[in-house]
Amino acid sequence: MRCGDFKENYIDDEEIFPSRFVKFWLVLFLIFLITFPFMANAHLLYIANMIGFAVIGAVGLNLLAGFTGQISLGHAAFIGVGAYTSAILVTRYGISFWLSLPLSGLVSALAGMVIGIPSLRVKGLYLCIATLAAQFIFGFTFVHWESMTKGITGIHIPPPAIGGFQFDTEKNFYWITLLFVILGVGYARNLVRSKMGRAFVAIRDRDLAAEIMGINLFRYKLSAFAISSFYAGVAGALWVSFLKVVTPEHFPFMLCIQYLAMVIVGGLGSVIGSIFGAVFMTLIPEILNVLSDMVKSYSPGMGKLIIPFKQVVFGSLIVGFLIFEPRGLAEIWSRIKKFFTLWPFSY
Amino acid sequence: MKKISFCILSLILFLGTSGIAVAQQPPTICAVHPFTGPFAFAGIEGSAAMQDVVDMTNEAGGINGKKILYYWSDGEYKNDVGIAAFKRLYAQYTPQVMFGQSTGMTKALGPEIKSRYKVLYSAYTMTSEAANPKENPYLFIAAPTYAEQFGVLLKYIAKEKPGANIAFFYADHEFGREPIPAGREMAKKMGLNVVAEEVSQVGGVDLTTQILDMKAKKVDYCIFQGFVSNPIATVIKQSKDYGLNAKFMGTFWSTEKQLIKELGPLAGEYVGVSAYSFFYQDDLPMMKKIKEWTKKKFPTIEYRSQAYMQNFLTTLLFVESFKRADKMKGGFTPDNMVQAFQSIKNYDVGGLMPPVTIKDNSIPVGRVYRGNARTMQFDPISDWIRMD
Repeated sequence: MRCGDFKENYIDDEEIFPSRFVKFWLVLFLIFLITFPFMANAHLLYIANMIGFAVIGAVGLNLLAGFTGQISLGHAAFIGVGAYTSAILVTRYGISFWLSLPLSGLVSALAGMVIGIPSLRVKGLYLCIATLAAQFIFGFTFVHWESMTKGITGIHIPPPAIGGFQFDTEKNFYWITLLFVILGVGYARNLVRSKMGRAFVAIRDRDLAAEIMGINLFRYKLSAFAISSFYAGVAGALWVSFLKVVTPEHFPFMLCIQYLAMVIVGGLGSVIGSIFGAVFMTLIPEILNVLSDMVKSYSPGMGKLIIPFKQVVFGSLIVGFLIFEPRGLAEIWSRIKKFFTLWPFSY
Repeated sequence: MKKISFCILSLILFLGTSGIAVAQQPPTICAVHPFTGPFAFAGIEGSAAMQDVVDMTNEAGGINGKKILYYWSDGEYKNDVGIAAFKRLYAQYTPQVMFGQSTGMTKALGPEIKSRYKVLYSAYTMTSEAANPKENPYLFIAAPTYAEQFGVLLKYIAKEKPGANIAFFYADHEFGREPIPAGREMAKKMGLNVVAEEVSQVGGVDLTTQILDMKAKKVDYCIFQGFVSNPIATVIKQSKDYGLNAKFMGTFWSTEKQLIKELGPLAGEYVGVSAYSFFYQDDLPMMKKIKEWTKKKFPTIEYRSQAYMQNFLTTLLFVESFKRADKMKGGFTPDNMVQAFQSIKNYDVGGLMPPVTIKDNSIPVGRVYRGNARTMQFDPISDWIRMD
């Protein structure tokens, strides 16, 4: 057990995996992730893939909202831009999934930068409303630009493939999801300890002081929007390639709220908080569904009461977490780690 | 000696369980109902209907002596929750037949049902994509498609007033937009003029623009699509204020008691198409049966909606497919289930619908009803109209 682990310089302090103890558990976790598909059924693998897409999207949003302090209500729109870009490139222009994925991210990033321009003038709730416009503009485009998006009918997408091997099942696609989650989380974690990451935090904490210090607000705010939207675009492209269909109904306004809830419950300004939030918001409703099914099977007449009650339970869990730990699940995790840093000699 | 006994015992157990595994999977239906969420009014009724048919069938001996197993889960009318529930139910119970909660879920799962799951599948949808046996033989709908329902209404209009001016008033989502392109073509073929297309959000309250637009274009008939009650009731009430003298019509999901209650004295202004008879049509044998069953099992329930009837009929077709497939070699295999289902012709459903004949994995039959303000019910004003 790690005990009394003190850092003597800033470089050591910024280390992502500060000790062998942490590296050991991380390796174990990676082994679990690699062996998971061989133990799980299609349903569990579906949930795992959905968690993966949510993690990528939530990390992106946290970079913007948590680290840079720019609240965005347009995240679902950027996910949709990435999704449709990938679908159109693959089905209409015959471009391979592997090339369409980064292109989807880039197109979303571009869209994000355009929508992020008001951030140079407005802040807080006003920026919220400005980004909300993105949701409605892109939502309208997805429905009405029928020559490209096929409107409400949607686009059916073939599964990605390498040679003759198709990633058409939950198990096969899991490897793609895992790869991009590792890449996405790894990049984000490194970004936040780089110069750009520190600039984001400075803008969040006091943008006027940051500007006086020489941080170019225009450049870094737009960069935050671009990177966040890139993540959203990649998440969207992966999601619809997994589902093999994209329709405008995939990107309602509620999806923005869901992602915001992930980063808030998980912890604003924390990459691991995004992961916790994504896991929580994806897994808890599913667990509640399974539990309500079990209760229903033992007591069929109670179905009408028990099933709607799970919405109450879910809402209460979110409110409860925020009351007892407003800084999110990441803060709970941080306190647990701090406790064990000096354990058993905490006194 | 102990080792040999252990090996023999293991072998016996292995062969025994293998034998169990090889035995035919009992007839199993799994469903994802929108028990919560915006479509809960249909999900609660639908899940009850499916349970009732399963219980009635099991009480009468099941499928040639085999009891039907029925499991369901709540999909919350959300695609990702519904798909997860579908996969969980399939992984747990390996059903031969499944029922989904929405058009979106049907579209998302369609390719996988065809290539992987191969279960006979229907849903709370009447989208044309679910009635395309060439593309997906496993998907079907126990009703006419939305486009066919439009066809029933347009045929009725063409008969009543040839060359009439029509407006399509639809919701700004998939359910609302789906039959509009087909509706435009059918109207043109029948010599009707589509002079206006109005769009609104579900539950919209400020519809002045749309009403005045229809008035300016002298609309004779306005067909709603994609709404359940609001804003249909609002449009009908406000049209009186603005002097719009159009006749209002709608498709399956809006032809419900809920709308009549909201319209009140204006119930007679609404004409709708439905695929099924109504609960209060006592003269029909199936309605009598449903009423007796409901009175016996659920004495506090006074009415069963059209969503109930949709699920009731769909489950009857599932049961009939099971019965026919059970007589085929191999039993409840995917191909047998599809063949059994597609072989259904002139199947008597006790007046719930005319005798059912499956065509292109749908039942292209509907009837036009008018609301009655005095009885708060729908009265049939046409005979059953076939769209094939």
